[in-house]
This record gives sequence, structure tokens and C-alpha cells, in this order.
Amino acid sequence: MMKIDISHMLPDIKSLPPFPEVAQKVIATLDDPEVGIQELVEIVQYDPNLTANILKMANSAYFGFPREVHSLNQALLYLGTQNLFKIIIASGATRLYGRCCNGYILDQGELWRHSVSTAIMASVISRWLGGQDGALLFTAALLHDIGKLVLDYYVHDAFAEIMALVKEGNYAFQEAERAVIGVDHATVGGEIARQWNFPDKIRLAIAYHHLETPEALKNDLALLVYLADLLVIILGTNQGVDGLAYRGHPQVMKHFGLRVRHLEQLLALFWPEMQKAQEFFDLDFRV
Amino acid sequence: MQITVGVADMQVSNNPQAVLVTHSLGSCIGVAVYDPQVRVGGILHYMLPESSLDGNKNTNKPVMFADTISPLLFKECYRYGAIKSRMIVKIAGGSQIMDSGCFFNIGKRNYAALRKIFLRNNVLIKNEDIGGFSPRTLYLQISTGKVWVKITGEGERLL
Repeated sequence: MMKIDISHMLPDIKSLPPFPEVAQKVIATLDDPEVGIQELVEIVQYDPNLTANILKMANSAYFGFPREVHSLNQALLYLGTQNLFKIIIASGATRLYGRCCNGYILDQGELWRHSVSTAIMASVISRWLGGQDGALLFTAALLHDIGKLVLDYYVHDAFAEIMALVKEGNYAFQEAERAVIGVDHATVGGEIARQWNFPDKIRLAIAYHHLETPEALKNDLALLVYLADLLVIILGTNQGVDGLAYRGHPQVMKHFGLRVRHLEQLLALFWPEMQKAQEFFDLDFRV
Repeated sequence: MQITVGVADMQVSNNPQAVLVTHSLGSCIGVAVYDPQVRVGGILHYMLPESSLDGNKNTNKPVMFADTISPLLFKECYRYGAIKSRMIVKIAGGSQIMDSGCFFNIGKRNYAALRKIFLRNNVLIKNEDIGGFSPRTLYLQISTGKVWVKITGEGERLL
């Protein structure tokens, strides 16, 4: 296969289903503390699917409110802006992730399942480290593999060559993508984030999530997304053909001061959280 | 009829129509046991090697750890008339990422912990499909005792 440049993929990126306007707006404001919450409420209340998703999630075990939440206003009051943002972005993302990825051999819903798992694991790790559990980290983790939606067609065409490098050449999957196609899914994801005007922090976390550049090792958000992705990959949540064919970088252990035992503790903490989050998997895909 | 076994979960059946299945075996290991005489079998899907990791988890979630699963699965089968000496044990999972520093080798540790506990309890593993970079799905057909794994991109393999 002839190697191609990322610029050749711009038409593919443009043909992705767009993010709903409200989710776009929320993502654009993620690293801006002065968010016009009232403006969001105005938009949300005229969107019945999104309202339904917010109510469904507000009543889920994941957020764990003691009383049933009946109205949008109540939901906003209980959830707070960060959790509201998470729900709006997750609802918007379902439109993208509703399809199959034939190149990676992922059935419908499997990439979504891996993405939500990564977002939940990222929250678990960040809380465990005593850090923030906000919408910025959630979004970066949820969208880290967005490049697979575009690279899928190319992986499909180059399948045999990529698999030969992974199986016989000791290439990690994204290294094989780069060697055969010319770009990998992390780079493509970063380009999608650029085209969609995502904040730089999210764009870089997506582009760096396999820690392939020296800058990535200094980027806290990218390191967190990498570790969350890696741990759920280890657990087996990535059902695609790339499976567990990714590299463990010891630097991440040093960066966060982690030992092997801590990784197992994080996995043990993650699983009950994941079971509480089942509502993420029946969010309305038509939003 | 498929009966799904979740992560850190166990199912036992003697329904001849049933096929037990567990998905997403990465570093986790699926243990399939079967007594061909009374046609009862079960699958258990555990996540981590040692329950000492977390004192509470030990009592709350024994199915999560290699060192606490063994009696559970066997005892549940005995309730349906199974006898230990007849039981056939097959296992799958324990995959690994590419890890030069041995920080992330939970699959390997899961496998070692199970071998240790089985050795102590005189349990023999008849067949296994362990390691590699691929997640697996493990099946057990109750009417026949047939056990097989499915690997994305590679198809099915009889155990």
C-alpha cells in the first residue's frame, strides 16, 4: 500500500457526522471556567432527546442521587455543570460511535463501549491520584480513539500488511498503521479535533494518547488518557483486532508514582464503577 | 440459549439447551468446568490474581480474584451432582500488552496465581488457550461439554 499524508484524509474527516451544536459549544468551552450555563439550558430544553438523556443519566446509579430526578432544572441543580457537560458530550458522541468499524473488526457499539470504559477509568485514576474528575478529562478519554472512525477504511485495505508487522515484526498496532498507511489513528484523531475546533488540551491528549512524542511524556492529560486506555485494554474492553497489541511505557508509572499493585487496585475500583454506568450504553443514538 | 457470564461473575447450568459464554477476556481468565456424566458445567471470569489487594473486596466480590474462585465454582457444580474427580477443567485468557518493563503483566500474574491455587487443590487443567495480544470469548456447551474460544480476526478454536 502506498503511504499517504494526513491531508488526504480531510475529505473523510469532513464526511463524518457532525457533533450536535450544543455538544460542540460545550467542548469549545471546556477549558474556560466562565461558562454561560444559562445559555446551555436554553438550548437543551428545546431538544427533547438530549433532555431525555440528561434525565436518564441523572437517575443512573453512576451519579447516584438518592431521589428521583423529574425535571431538567432539578437535574441541572443536582448534577452541576461538569456532570451536565459529560452527559451532553456523551450524548453527542453516540451519533459518531453508532456505526461498525470493519477495518478494526469492531461490531456496532464496541468502540463506544471501549470509549466509555476509558472515560470511566480516567475518572477513577484521577480521583485516586487526588486530582480533578471534570468534563475535560472525561471528554479527552471518551474521544481518544475518534481517529479510528476515519482510519478504519485504510486499515481495512491494509489489513494483511498491518497484521504481519504486529504478529511477526513486534510492532504495536499504531506503529504498524504508521509504517503501512503513513499515519496512525492518534494523529488522525488529533486532526479531527483540529477541524472541529476542540480546545488544544483535548486535541493534544487525543493526538498523544500512545505517548509517541517526547512532549507527550510531559502532558498530564495525555498521560492520564494513555494510562486509562491501557488499563481497559489490558482488561479486554477493546474487542477489535488490535486487541492488546499496544505498548506499556514504564515512564507513566514513574510520572504518577505508581507500582504494579496500584494498577491492580485501580482495576478493582474500576469494575464496580463500570457496572453503575450501564445507562451510558443505552443513550439515545439518534440525538 | 446463551447465558452470559460477566466480568467477575460465575454461572453454572445443567440445562441441555444452554451455552455459557464470557466476553472480553483480556488479562482476565475464564475457567470452564464440566462433569460429562451429569452434564453440568460452569464458567467463571476472574479479573485479578490476589484478594489480599483489598480486604473488603475479598468478602464482597470473591469472583474477582484467582485465589478465592476455586471453591466457589466447584461447590456450585457439586450442588447439581457433579463430582470433582470427573470434572474437566479448561481455561482461556491471560493476554498481555507489549510490556518490556513487566509493570503491566497482569495476564501473566493471573495465570500464575491460578496454577498455584489449582496445584494446591489437586485440580488438573485439561486444556488451555493463554497469552498473546488478543482478547478472547470463551464458550461452553452444556449438552456436549464442548469448549471453544473465539478470537477477533482469527475465528474459533476448539479447546
